[in-house]
Amino acid sequence: MTNATLNAPAVPSRASKAKAPSSSAAAGRKILVSSWLIVAVVAAWWFGSANSTNFFIPSLESILEALVRDLGNGVIISGAWYSLSNLFVGLALAAFFGICGGLLLGEVPLLLKIVDPIIHFFRAVPQAALVPMIIGVFGMGQGPKMGTIAFACMWPILLNTIDGILGIEPTVRKFSKVYRIPRGLHFRRVILPGATPQIVAGIRVALPIGITVMVVSEMFASIEGLGFYILNSSATFKVPETWAGALLVGVIGYIISILFVLVEKRILRWYHASGAQ
Amino acid sequence: MKESTISPGLLWTLRIVAIAAPLGIWQLVIASGTMPSMLPGVEKIFSAISEALGQAAFWGGLGKTLLAALTGWLIASVVGVVLGLVIGSVRFLDNSTSILIDFGRSFPVLALMPVVIMLLGSNTMMEIVVVALSCLWPVLIQTIYGARRQEAAVADTVAVFRIPPMLRFTKVLLPSALPLIATGVRISSAIAILVAVGVEVISQAPGIGRQITLMQQAQRWDLAFAYLFFAGLTGWAIALLLQQAENRLLKWKRQNDD
Repeated sequence: MTNATLNAPAVPSRASKAKAPSSSAAAGRKILVSSWLIVAVVAAWWFGSANSTNFFIPSLESILEALVRDLGNGVIISGAWYSLSNLFVGLALAAFFGICGGLLLGEVPLLLKIVDPIIHFFRAVPQAALVPMIIGVFGMGQGPKMGTIAFACMWPILLNTIDGILGIEPTVRKFSKVYRIPRGLHFRRVILPGATPQIVAGIRVALPIGITVMVVSEMFASIEGLGFYILNSSATFKVPETWAGALLVGVIGYIISILFVLVEKRILRWYHASGAQ
Repeated sequence: MKESTISPGLLWTLRIVAIAAPLGIWQLVIASGTMPSMLPGVEKIFSAISEALGQAAFWGGLGKTLLAALTGWLIASVVGVVLGLVIGSVRFLDNSTSILIDFGRSFPVLALMPVVIMLLGSNTMMEIVVVALSCLWPVLIQTIYGARRQEAAVADTVAVFRIPPMLRFTKVLLPSALPLIATGVRISSAIAILVAVGVEVISQAPGIGRQITLMQQAQRWDLAFAYLFFAGLTGWAIALLLQQAENRLLKWKRQNDD
């Protein structure tokens, strides 16, 4: 299969691993180098917008005020809880079906050959276009939203799982066969771990898709969630709240991706330790 | 793994069966009446697909979506490649921007859409901006990776011969980063379509996504499914096209690797 598209960009391997900072001064310098720009950007925004007279570009101060206020009174917390539970249930479903389907298709080449064009068609459907369809048919509850997220996130996971299984060294398979490893054990201890790095990469690709579909589904039809908070704020001309909501979703996206990298490092520790790339 | 030996004729027969079987199940489920009644039957969707082909609204919507996606994607590609080459080849900039770029790439840009709508209004211009903002990150990040992995020997040669910066940029940096840039550009093409349709679904911006929501609100589910089908077909065609282009463009690279 030629779907290099789905290979997530490599985890940044910064040059830092080659040489450890020799002193605390060097470490301080490094932190300074990596953080001055973000500080400068925030400062520029803060002072640049401080006396803003444009109604649609409120000062950063008022945005943060709105954010802190709505974080304090629980409006955002309950919205975030709603959104994130949709996201995680959807992702979990996608991972389950994607991995199971991928294992099946990866192990049965004939089946893969038959359904390959169909999979590629479904993967190419713009996931956001599914939102009005699925929500329109099944209503605007939480279930349809989770389903939409799951459907959108499944394809990269499925395709990467297949790739991972096809990428397992034939020698490894032969060994497993020669030693007559029982089927269940072969699946659990040979096939699954062999495909894990690719599966994890697939989930990494699916994550931003899931967040995007989550926001779209809530902006399209919802009375809860972060997407609704943003849209509702803009519809009622609460401009600082709109900015605050958008910023918050961004920060949440960033935090989730950092957490994912940590989990990935933990899961794939054996893989990175083995020096395989 | 053993290569399955199967004649192309049989393969296609099986493929048709694999497509027909779910459609048959769909039809049965509709007939059984267990699903919400608005779901159209298979024959209705088929007739809607041919109906859509004759509709000016459909072609107009598709054209507007493609135009917005393409423009945003082109802007993002150019900006991403230029910025990426500069950032990736200057160590200081690379280190300074890493947090900002990590933040940017994990930012769901569609969440910013209401803000952009407030600033620009709900139109194609806004759609292009949102698409460009979403597509920028994969191109930028892949280009930075590409510019970073300069071979030491090449860098030394460039220094020794005092190659002027502009020449170095176009003849050394760009070609060596090209394979990774191509991947980034390809990834972002899929994002461009996804985001363009997403913007149209939520906002009033014209396009195929807007058409889908309009048809759905008008209870023309068959047409909505037909549009969805074409949206998928378009995405699929674009992915295929870019894969071909990449294979051709980077032939020299592949041959080198083998």
